[in-house]
Amino acid sequence: MNFKRIRVLLKMELLKIVREPAFLFLMLLFPAVLTIMFGFIFADPEFGMSMETVAPGLFGYACIFIIMIVAQSFTEMRDQGLLKRLNISPMTSGDFMASEIISNMIMVIFQVIIVYLLALPFGFNPNTKVLGMFLAFLLMIVFSLSSVGLGLITATISKSSGTATGLSFIFILPQMFLGTFIPVTATTKPIAMFMPSYYATNALSAIFSGDLTNSWIITGFTFITIVSLIIIIIGMFLFKKFGNK
Amino acid sequence: MFYIDLNVKLCKTKQVNKMSEIKTKEYEKPENIINPNSKFSIEVDNLRKVFNAKKGYDDVIAVDDVSFKVKSGEIFGFLGPNGAGKTTTINILIGLLKATSGTAIINGYDVQDGLYHIKQLIGVCPQEPAIFKFLTGKEMIELFGGLHSMNKAEIKERTNKLLDILNLSNASKRKTKGYSGGMLRQLNLIIALIHDPKIAFLDEPTVGMDPRVRRATWEFIRSLKKTNKTIFLTTHYIEEAEKLCDRVAIIDYGKLIEIGNPKELIEKYSVNNLEEVFMKITGRRIMEGM
Ligand SMILES: Nc1ncnc2c1ncn2[C@@H]1O[C@H](COP(=O)(O)OP(=O)(O)OP(=O)(O)O)[C@@H](O)[C@H]1O
Ligand SMILES: [Mg+2]
Repeated sequence: MNFKRIRVLLKMELLKIVREPAFLFLMLLFPAVLTIMFGFIFADPEFGMSMETVAPGLFGYACIFIIMIVAQSFTEMRDQGLLKRLNISPMTSGDFMASEIISNMIMVIFQVIIVYLLALPFGFNPNTKVLGMFLAFLLMIVFSLSSVGLGLITATISKSSGTATGLSFIFILPQMFLGTFIPVTATTKPIAMFMPSYYATNALSAIFSGDLTNSWIITGFTFITIVSLIIIIIGMFLFKKFGNK
Repeated sequence: MFYIDLNVKLCKTKQVNKMSEIKTKEYEKPENIINPNSKFSIEVDNLRKVFNAKKGYDDVIAVDDVSFKVKSGEIFGFLGPNGAGKTTTINILIGLLKATSGTAIINGYDVQDGLYHIKQLIGVCPQEPAIFKFLTGKEMIELFGGLHSMNKAEIKERTNKLLDILNLSNASKRKTKGYSGGMLRQLNLIIALIHDPKIAFLDEPTVGMDPRVRRATWEFIRSLKKTNKTIFLTTHYIEEAEKLCDRVAIIDYGKLIEIGNPKELIEKYSVNNLEEVFMKITGRRIMEGM
């Protein structure tokens, strides 16, 4: 790995997200719109839920869509011969993956800030200080690793970027419905137990409740770290082996 | 955790470096040391590439037992009809494809295991331009300059020079999304040469360029020779290859059928120019009804 190469690749990745409307929308606008919409819906007392319970799920929600962005971005680069083009430069796959992971981590930080700020007017009132916010950022950053990994796996099995968009829902939907702000019931819990988003949401809820000794925090971190590492390693391996043709 | 991982990686790189140093020494044959001028940039030996087809279709033998050597500082033309195997050969030499059998050595490094070192030495202009559409031409060039570890000042100076030669300075400030076909190819060539590579693989670099830019490109390629750069060039502009190349190889149906200095070849076949040599010796199988 070479710091300079990672830096120029990172610049390229960030420009891609900022300049490609589809990516910019999914990355930043979508979480914003979602927070405002759910804010209006859930903040209504008639609904019987509060932003307090919904907000942690919204953070995860935004991060889950990184799967689609990564899958699309990689299939596009592959189809347009750009991966090959980069591969004949001195760039190593380590440089490339590092830039990919860092750019998504940076985006996750923006997502957290956007959702956080927009949820406040709708009654989101987290009981956290600096350490709590730091933990929330850290958790989402680790969580984003699993999304990058799942995106790579999607790209490997997708023939085109269109297919990638569709197939990414294999990983997006279960995480969305079985782990974010939709309450997990006794029926769905056995499945939700395997979803990183379930742990992310619960750990975030615990962090925002202000009780940093809550066991969900350590459970969440442990599960997500282990699962994310496994997924990203599988993703990188699969993509290197089969997704680069 | 991360630190440990990084350290392991660093150690590995060092090991690789050491190993390839040993490799290089192995490749430096005694005669090369006696006569440095005979050092070859590219050595290809019995290279073969078979594309295995799905059941029911015939396999394609794209490169069939090809051997040749290219000297340092040589402009080497690799000519042949469509589908002859030129791009496939280049793709093997730059490590994008694995040869079915045979060896390819670039500047003393085997493409099988010395690719990391080869990539620092070569510049590649692929037949099909691959350009990030959301970047401007300049940003695209800077990206590749950075990947080749050039510093900002170097990149700037060289970018301006190349943009000037190819008359792309103005357009380079725009996003490549709106580029014309010829402009994309110009950019494609600049990216290949941004780091002043020791060995350049140019796969039909001038296709789609207007006559003025094409002429400027040929002049520039010629000027590279003065700085002892090796150019491996494929083109269908045989006339220009005749003027430019020190030697040409002609390949057809994956087989190398002729190699030599353009003048000598013209004499050998008693014709007027290289294009006639090309016409005379390629496509024989078509004429023979194969
Ligand atoms: N990935 C592939 N799978 C199957 N066959 C291939 C593949 N790539 C190339 N070929 C075949 O190999 C042969 C040589 O192709 P190649 O692209 O090397 O030709 P070329 O000499 O570069 O032609 P051109 O002048 O048209 O660029 C062709 O018959 C082509 O169909
Ligand atoms: Mg070709």
